[in-house]
Amino acid sequence: MKASVGDRLVVRGHRVGDPERDAEVVEVRGADGGPPYLVRWSDDGHESLMFPGSDAHIQHFDPASN
Amino acid sequence: MQTISRLRRSGVGVAPDRTLRDVARLMSSSGIGTVAVLDGDDLVGIVTDRDLVRRGLARELPPDARVDGIMSSPVITIEADTDLHEAISTFGRHALRRLAVVDHGAFVGIISLDDLLVDVATDLRQLTAPMAAEITSPQQDSGLPVPG
Repeated sequence: MKASVGDRLVVRGHRVGDPERDAEVVEVRGADGGPPYLVRWSDDGHESLMFPGSDAHIQHFDPASN
Repeated sequence: MQTISRLRRSGVGVAPDRTLRDVARLMSSSGIGTVAVLDGDDLVGIVTDRDLVRRGLARELPPDARVDGIMSSPVITIEADTDLHEAISTFGRHALRRLAVVDHGAFVGIISLDDLLVDVATDLRQLTAPMAAEITSPQQDSGLPVPG
């Protein structure tokens, strides 16, 4: 997995009915865009260090679309 | 060999001085119920949502108590390239529901016993499908050849 600052990290729910969670990548701590990532969660703005697993994917931020 | 890598869930890391309130909010934001406590890059503890209840709320710790006061330590870990069957044995030896996954010692995520069991059950269902079909829909053998 590779990410850049501004990308969106999405984590799927683990049980039926659990919503997806998403966060903005604010810092890439790994080498070559790899994890871990410092992320800011969209629902309350809290920041945490995230180690994405098979339940997560990256949506790349496209500056041209904004 | 099938490894646990495709079953690895995301993990969240926090510093030892984060408060119980912060960790509870973080679990709520991320939907992740197990948090790794990291001192720099070193994995020093694990805290689950259950720990927050039993070691925090039940003991009436204040919301601004440090998370390292309720963490489980030392941490039982499993390497990211561990074979599935070996992982099942590890869960059996330690009677835990979640294990910290490490890659050459560095924390990379969490594996849960639930995910492992669902995966094994899916494999078993596929393996036994032909046998189940034979039992529930037996094919009639053709008759013996008639001597000429």
